[in-house]
Amino acid sequence: MNFPFNRRSFLRGMINGTAVCVALPVLNRFLNGSGTAYADGTKLPVRFGTYFWGLGLTDTPTGGTRWVPSKTGYGYEIMPELESLKPVKDKVSVFSGFRVIGDGRPNLVHWSGHASILSGVAPAAADRFDGPSFDSKVADAIGTATRFKVIDIDASASRQPVSYSTRTGTTFAMPETTPLVLYQRLFGSAFQDPNSDDWKPDPSIMLRQSVLSAVEDQRQALMAGVGKDDQVRLDQYFTSVREMENQLAMQLQKPEHCQACVVPTAPKDTPRSATVDAVRANTKALAKLLAMGLACNQTRVFNFVHTAGISETYIAGESKIYHQITHDEPIDATLGYQPETSRLAGLVMQAFGDFLIELDAVKEGAGTVLDNSLIMAFSDTGYAKIHSIENIPMFLAGRAGGRHKAGQHVHTTGESVTRVSLTAQQLVGVPVGEFGTGSMRTARPITEIMG
Amino acid sequence: MTKEAPIRRHLIATAVAAIALAFPGSAAPQQLSPSAKWTKTYVVEWNEPAMYYGAKTGVTDPGTDCPNGTNPSPDWIQVLVDAGYTLEEAKWLRNPANPTRSPVHGQNQMAFRGKDRANVYVNPTSTPDPGLTPVSGTIAEGLNLDDDENTGFTSPTGEKGIDNNFYKALGCWKTYRGPHRLSSGALTFNDAMRDGAWTTVIVVAGEGADPMNDDHVKVGFYMSNDKMVKDGLGNIARDYTFRIAPNAKYEGILPARTSNGRIVSTVPADIMLRDPSYTWDLELLRARLNLEMKSDGSLTGYVGGYRPWEPVYRGWVNARGTVIEVLTWVQLPAVYYALRRYADYSPTGPGGEKTHISYALRVDALPAFVMAPDGTKEVATVESYKAIAPKEPPRPALPFQIVDGIVPDPTGKYQAGPHAVILPPRASSDARQ
Repeated sequence: MNFPFNRRSFLRGMINGTAVCVALPVLNRFLNGSGTAYADGTKLPVRFGTYFWGLGLTDTPTGGTRWVPSKTGYGYEIMPELESLKPVKDKVSVFSGFRVIGDGRPNLVHWSGHASILSGVAPAAADRFDGPSFDSKVADAIGTATRFKVIDIDASASRQPVSYSTRTGTTFAMPETTPLVLYQRLFGSAFQDPNSDDWKPDPSIMLRQSVLSAVEDQRQALMAGVGKDDQVRLDQYFTSVREMENQLAMQLQKPEHCQACVVPTAPKDTPRSATVDAVRANTKALAKLLAMGLACNQTRVFNFVHTAGISETYIAGESKIYHQITHDEPIDATLGYQPETSRLAGLVMQAFGDFLIELDAVKEGAGTVLDNSLIMAFSDTGYAKIHSIENIPMFLAGRAGGRHKAGQHVHTTGESVTRVSLTAQQLVGVPVGEFGTGSMRTARPITEIMG
Repeated sequence: MTKEAPIRRHLIATAVAAIALAFPGSAAPQQLSPSAKWTKTYVVEWNEPAMYYGAKTGVTDPGTDCPNGTNPSPDWIQVLVDAGYTLEEAKWLRNPANPTRSPVHGQNQMAFRGKDRANVYVNPTSTPDPGLTPVSGTIAEGLNLDDDENTGFTSPTGEKGIDNNFYKALGCWKTYRGPHRLSSGALTFNDAMRDGAWTTVIVVAGEGADPMNDDHVKVGFYMSNDKMVKDGLGNIARDYTFRIAPNAKYEGILPARTSNGRIVSTVPADIMLRDPSYTWDLELLRARLNLEMKSDGSLTGYVGGYRPWEPVYRGWVNARGTVIEVLTWVQLPAVYYALRRYADYSPTGPGGEKTHISYALRVDALPAFVMAPDGTKEVATVESYKAIAPKEPPRPALPFQIVDGIVPDPTGKYQAGPHAVILPPRASSDARQ
């Protein structure tokens, strides 16, 4: 039978004398037999996420590393602070020896590290980036075909919600902070089960879409009549409006069937606490929902904060918080490192292990959601005691649909963190040839981990 | 500019080598200039208070300097109880879950533990001296500032009369204690400097024919706005170029002589340097130096003098007293009392109030090109640039405001202060709702 449509086809027609075209959802017809790729051989799009935790890992001037494996390439040994990654080690690459090169800009403590990794330039001020975070480029490249272009999550239970995702460098995303709120966002009343046999467009969505579209002319007029600063603000606002429109448009289409999607039940609300155990539990619960959100094709891009740069987490019953301990605990002369700080680093990394295991637990085609994702995990510092921005721990987790030759340890001496950032962007298909500014500008991805 | 520097340095080195070959046995000048016979220039790659470490291992272990090791972390619950809080209140105040505690900024109520709950940072004598065990050893690094070999410490090499009461007062405080380059304070501030927070350059110029033995030498300390560059291993790279940035405050010029490559002061002078600390200002009265020009081209040694001690205390307070106390294992009023107790110099004469304390800064510097402020030529003399210095710029703004040693939380539901009602623990769960 002649079937003249493919996944790039539009349905075209006329409404009240106006030409319209409607994009097609990804139909089973367009997929291959196993569900791992389109029938024409094109891989299913991968998901991308960032995972951030504060206060780095232990690698002291006296040589007491607790996270840098001695072996490079495949088969690196599991170091004490990476113990939690053991179950998914073959899907995680470790990057050591990378640093921020500020070109004379001072180290803004608990800020310059991740600002440089995400924006490619050392920031001039401690409350902003000097450019957008690159996850926004990824979202533009691979996040437009889902209900949410990007989902921002903060598990830290900090006093203020924490996000390092920014399009402007000055305003940051407002993250979801509890499992219940994330559930409502992903699977609340506006969620449409992609596997439902009884799907039909929601009339209320159609109405809301028309309301938004109706102000288009006034938006244009408003933009033309304001100054440059206001244009920037309005552009950011209208970007969110356009994303809302896109989100609504997606909901007016029958969602593609998602084999791995099992709509979860609503989680219970939990007491808000910044203890290490509570943040870990929060991370695990949020990761479980996120994993299903990815499997149900609600988003393909996310940013996840475990703890802020100036982490507020602490051991229940202790009066000192982790951040204070990194600074005030002396190095044990025999061990060569700070034992309590290292213990806490290991506990914090347990949450990252949990996070990855949750993504790996959702089977999808021949693999898992983790296999079809790429998560760039990183911190704000190397040796937190002195706010070092040398040897910042970075990881790439997930196979990125086979593009990431995972399970390797890559070590350099003093190369820019932006090489890892560029590599991540290229692995998920962002059309970018270079990344960063000044001495951190690089066109050299880490090719040994690229399939 | 920096790309050319190594090449230019190579050319100079070649010329120097040629001179050395032509006149074997003589030390060749590094540079020639019409204003001085020779000039050597450096960039400070590390500087820290000269605190002799008397232990064999670790950073807090017992040693000849501090037989009981570093002063231990205070029991903050007990500190608050001693200040008049109930045990229940004290435990509550120290609990990170307390809604009045900002885990980022500390517990503001900690400041109010003086008499009648006065702010001890503003009024340290409102509380009795909590005590800070001083250095009890006899060895210290530094300089003989009073020309009296019968007062002070003995240097590690046996020199008598080393005056360093700053070390005596604070040498067992965790912030300052540790092997060379490994105390937490040294690591923190030098890491900031090496990452670009500030740059200090040194110019040494002499009138004699032999830089290693010259009775007429001047040493200048200047600021530069050019940042240091790190090599691939994270070390500061040699031979980069720095322009002097005239600074109305931070500049120091000291007359000296050289003897077998060692630069020593001839006449004390008053100078102001950029301090590797929260204080920023390192004012040194009757400053002297003792620096060694090493065969690898680097410069190492001490510059010292009598510094005002109260700004040192204020520097720590204004860095957020509540946080500093917990991080560095000290009650700041104890720092105030210790500095006051060991202050050993009065600018108004022997009978005056001891407002200053003997001090030495340990300096490590690398060879570098230092250019005149306009960048047109290398400096060849040591002279003051204060007359052409711009107005001192304001310090960079912090992301939070510090008032009287605490970070006010004006929008917070609960405010710290002498009359604050301390919530009972059982109210915590209600408060979080």
